[in-house]
Amino acid sequence: MSSTLTEILIGGISRGAMYALVALGYTMVYGVLGMINFAHGEIFMIGMFSCVYAIGIFSVAWGNQVLLNLTLGIAVAMIFSAAYGYANERIAYRRLRKAHVLAPLTSAIGISTFLQYFIFLTVSRDSVNFPRFYSDFLTNNHIHLGPVQVTYLQLMILGLTLVIMAGLFYLIHFTRIGIALRATAQDQLMASLVGIPVNRIIAFTFILGSALAAIAGVMFSMYNNVLVFDAGYRVGLKAFTAAILGGIGNVPGAVLGAMIIGLTEALTTLQFGSEWNDVTTFGMLMLVLLVRPRGILGERVADKV
Amino acid sequence: MRKLSLYLSLAIVLIVGAAMVGCQKSGDAGTAISPKASDTIKIGLAGAQTGSDGEIGLSMLNGSQVAIDEWNAKGGVLGKKIESIALDDEASGQKAVTVAQSLIDAGVVAVIGHFNSGCTIPASRLYNDAKIVEISPGSTNPQYTEQGFPDAFRICGRDDQQGAVIASFLRDVRKFDKIAILDDKTTYGEGLATVVKNAFEAKGGTVVMFQGIEKNDLDFRANISVIQGSGAQALVWGGMYNGGGPLCVQMRQAGLTIPFVSDDGCQDQAFVNMVGGNAENVFVSFGKDYNSTPAAQAFIQKYKDTYHRDVGSYSVYGYDAAQVLLTAIDKAQSTDADKVAAVLKGQPFDTIQGQIEFDSKGDLKVADYVIWTVKDNKLQELSPTP
Repeated sequence: MSSTLTEILIGGISRGAMYALVALGYTMVYGVLGMINFAHGEIFMIGMFSCVYAIGIFSVAWGNQVLLNLTLGIAVAMIFSAAYGYANERIAYRRLRKAHVLAPLTSAIGISTFLQYFIFLTVSRDSVNFPRFYSDFLTNNHIHLGPVQVTYLQLMILGLTLVIMAGLFYLIHFTRIGIALRATAQDQLMASLVGIPVNRIIAFTFILGSALAAIAGVMFSMYNNVLVFDAGYRVGLKAFTAAILGGIGNVPGAVLGAMIIGLTEALTTLQFGSEWNDVTTFGMLMLVLLVRPRGILGERVADKV
Repeated sequence: MRKLSLYLSLAIVLIVGAAMVGCQKSGDAGTAISPKASDTIKIGLAGAQTGSDGEIGLSMLNGSQVAIDEWNAKGGVLGKKIESIALDDEASGQKAVTVAQSLIDAGVVAVIGHFNSGCTIPASRLYNDAKIVEISPGSTNPQYTEQGFPDAFRICGRDDQQGAVIASFLRDVRKFDKIAILDDKTTYGEGLATVVKNAFEAKGGTVVMFQGIEKNDLDFRANISVIQGSGAQALVWGGMYNGGGPLCVQMRQAGLTIPFVSDDGCQDQAFVNMVGGNAENVFVSFGKDYNSTPAAQAFIQKYKDTYHRDVGSYSVYGYDAAQVLLTAIDKAQSTDADKVAAVLKGQPFDTIQGQIEFDSKGDLKVADYVIWTVKDNKLQELSPTP
């Protein structure tokens, strides 16, 4: 295998892993509520901004402790994003849960636009750099795989994706809260009749999905060196596509779909040029949906017992 | 209790939002439409104010506003006050057409804008039909003035001139044989990339990679791997700095040290800040450095006093466009588009750029593209200029 092809494949897997982290959030909310959370991309974007601002504050407070500040920064990002995710559920979803399916969809698109321009007007109109002092040890250290190098950051992104996927799978299928999640997904009224706090379960789903989006946001901004208020749009679109490709509502499906999209984009760039990325990605989505209308792995969280 | 918390959070969101909008209005070129409409001469300021080109677009509009304020302080033009109507096209061609229609409906006599070529070109058709003079301070795509509209002008160079300068720098100065070109698939970026490709090939060079990438796609790893494998001696980026910055950084991280060459879209301090320590071997084409000329200092001071921020790369162009337009209206003693256009094409104008003249298409007779580079964390003209 030529070194260019290997590099392309590694780049594609990292890109896919990034999509996967975002796609997990889409898929969880859909799995439980049967609704698509269009504001998820913006929660992702808020995650990256809060992490960088938190790191800034910490480094002023007690100096440049790389590992400590980065870890705390990610924690702050998760808390912020989770709060925004919860607010999103309260404002855009809870009241509309029994409304026509288009109503929450529209209100989520509204929240998404609102958050984008809220950040644009209050935080930064321009792209912001990720503080490279904090990401350099991850991006400049490599392990060698034959002729090519894999950075620590790429390994970290892939590792995080797999661990989180496994964790979510375990949570949904083998814990009490997972049973409650699946029950809520199947029938909210019945679930509430047997004593499951449906509102809290749904809020929990949003909070968990949003915290994951924050991790994705931090990884994205470290990997691409940039934070920008509209970054959530394209990544959100691709992640959403990944979730559908793998079978929306299905946790391993989201990761599989994201990997396929990441690799497709990378190989398209090699073969035809990156201007064809959207053509091949969405063309493949159409083909897969023609053959398997419910995605590659199919099913929602609820159907899989 | 639950309802209360919901209403409270909604209320807070609304209040904060409203406060933001309030701050915004006082700070930037606003859309104040006065009731006594017939007593004023209305000038449209169209361009991106939000979106990823919002910062650079707004600095252009604000530059025009400074000139309009100066004229109003002198008593306006043709004995009337000048009223500016600033509308945001979000750098989208579709939105630009809507903006153009709103400006026409509002009764503007001339438009300064738009910024992005992809906005200026579709909007120019509407202005032409409505017989309104349009001067773009920043749209460099040749097609804009090639449509044969008598009242369309630009106060910057064209991409065929700019592309030729880039190609000549790479081929004649640096003697490269193989280059790679990547663009952001916009009217502007792809147009410029194509010009560079043709000019470089006409000089006997080879373009080993020619690709486009979606504007907000910020992961360039795959493209960089292809470039590395292609043996290119330089990379040309046709697009804005919000893509160019991350591309340059990712390139250096991947160990690719070949020259990174870009266009006027990367001519912004924001680009330099993004690239940071990786700014070696970075070249950007742009007009001459006007911000450091003595002629510009009075304007720069006024701009800072009004907006409390530094001028952008296109502020001078926005200011010059408004100055030239208002001078022409004053000399024509009319707001009639044909008369104003005749004045614009008939004589030279003194601007911060120096003395400029328009040719019969509405382009500048002399374009002044030079190559800039990054030195001491600032963009500077490369000397000696090739």
